[in-house]
Amino acid sequence: MHGSETQLASTVIFGLNPMWYAAILFIFTYVVIMTERINRAIVSLLAAGLMIFGGVLNQEAAIRGIDFNTIGLLIGMMVIVAITRQSGVFQYLAIWSAKKVNASPWGILAMLSVVTAVVSAFLDNVTTVLLIVPVALLITEELRVKAYPYLFSMIISSNIGGTATLIGDPPNIMIGSAVNLTFNDFAFNLAPVIIVVLIANLIPIYFIWGRHLHAAAEDRQRVMDFNEHEAITDQLLLKKCLAVIGVVVLSFIFARFLGLEAATIGLFGAAALLLLQCWPHDADEQSRLVTHAFTETEWITIFFFVGLFIVVHGLDSTGLLKLLADKVLALTGGELNATAMVVLWSSAILSAFVDNIPFVATMIPLIKAMAPQFGGPEGLMPLWWALSLGACLGGNGTLIGASANLVVAGFAERAGQPIRFVPFMLTAFPLMLMSIAICTVYMYWRYL
Amino acid sequence: MTARTLMNPDPATLRPSDTVAAAADHILKHHLRHLPVVDERGRYLGTFSIYSLLQLTLPKAVLDKHGLENVSFVTEHVSDLAQRLGGRREESVQNWLNIHEVAHPDTPAMEVMLLMLHGRTTSVPVVDKESGRLEGVVSFWDVLEKLQGENA
Repeated sequence: MHGSETQLASTVIFGLNPMWYAAILFIFTYVVIMTERINRAIVSLLAAGLMIFGGVLNQEAAIRGIDFNTIGLLIGMMVIVAITRQSGVFQYLAIWSAKKVNASPWGILAMLSVVTAVVSAFLDNVTTVLLIVPVALLITEELRVKAYPYLFSMIISSNIGGTATLIGDPPNIMIGSAVNLTFNDFAFNLAPVIIVVLIANLIPIYFIWGRHLHAAAEDRQRVMDFNEHEAITDQLLLKKCLAVIGVVVLSFIFARFLGLEAATIGLFGAAALLLLQCWPHDADEQSRLVTHAFTETEWITIFFFVGLFIVVHGLDSTGLLKLLADKVLALTGGELNATAMVVLWSSAILSAFVDNIPFVATMIPLIKAMAPQFGGPEGLMPLWWALSLGACLGGNGTLIGASANLVVAGFAERAGQPIRFVPFMLTAFPLMLMSIAICTVYMYWRYL
Repeated sequence: MTARTLMNPDPATLRPSDTVAAAADHILKHHLRHLPVVDERGRYLGTFSIYSLLQLTLPKAVLDKHGLENVSFVTEHVSDLAQRLGGRREESVQNWLNIHEVAHPDTPAMEVMLLMLHGRTTSVPVVDKESGRLEGVVSFWDVLEKLQGENA
């Protein structure tokens, strides 16, 4: 396949060597994405077009570069979440957890962090914080305590929780899809260390803020008076959602046995839930409900992925990523230990400052090219876990490390308790390094 | 007919530094719904209204644009709401303005009425296009009286 694409690339119209053309276009694309001056979906689609116009790929090859398993799974989960969130179940969960700890300020902080982590493991991180942060803000307002420690801890927990499963964070979806890893593979390999990392992060948060939090008995009583059952706005819809999500998760667990890929499960689940939600209604109401579910889908992210896959595939087809992989291997002496550590730590540091999605999209073909050195695809497994842990947890390093961080910062700003870049980083970056250190120990213990 | 012919050219206004307490008293005393707020050069900044007062009784988490859509789980008493409003009485009105769509003096009457309907408001500020100065306010009642007069 690559042979014919390279041949095509030799007819490049701009007179540049295709490898140079692809590399320059790739770097320029990533720089423009990082400046955030132009919407990232526009940038990646334009760059994908330029890969084709420049003769690096033809349209057929470009479409082969798009990982439709990732795209389908993302869309399927987004539709399921868009419908489920209407039921109010996530607010219910947040209030229920706050009351379980008698509305004590530290107890609530710890509980909301755990709830955020667990929900993030199954939902997109941005969606999770959009659902839970408003409840946290309401509770802190009622308790008359500062919101900052709560918001800080929820940012950290959301990125940590998202790392635990196949569907928790886009990098995992991409890695899982590219290497054919299942839901169970992620759960068995990442969830154990993620639990340790979450607990380890909550300890310093307790010593910095938690032990100083106090609330008056009457303010705590106001929170205890919340009636969480009222948060559920639609009991029937909730039952439908829980049934579909249950079947979807079971299908993920038995995916290999059933011979099903993730996108099939996600999109079928979405269609089934739409059917359950729509069937009692007339045509007009059905089209309103379906339109709503589709509008809530984050098309910017989806098209960003589409363009990005094409750009990275273009770069890959010129053989440049293979060259880079050889360079990395020369640097690490072709040793698995050293290579895994380079992948883990460089992913973490880079992901603290740049979007981890384009980074992981580039790293996947690069790591794949290392297969011969480590005895075939099986030998690469530790590198995939290193990439996932580094890219997902690295997002905790700075306020711009992940989209969820910026969404929470938006809430904080509007609530009049802004989260600033430098103060956030002074606490968050050391915590992120600690998390990666824990992962280092885990990787040596389990894989190296 | 244009906004200029419909408007009250001399409406009661507030300054951004006026307190919530003063504005609330004024609204209650005169049974007003909307008070335009203007700076020292007479430029329109926004409107302090009965909706601003409603917002002042609610937690900020509820007012956020991505905030909670359903708060029926909160079982606060009227005293809690009153306490929250009471705690904010000395804040200045500028933090609690609603920004309404405005008309210009030469905006046609039909457009002004459509602004009222779409904005669910009973008063439309009339603002000079260039200077941003508040020229007057068209209230729903002024329009109705004019219409009644035509039919008589």
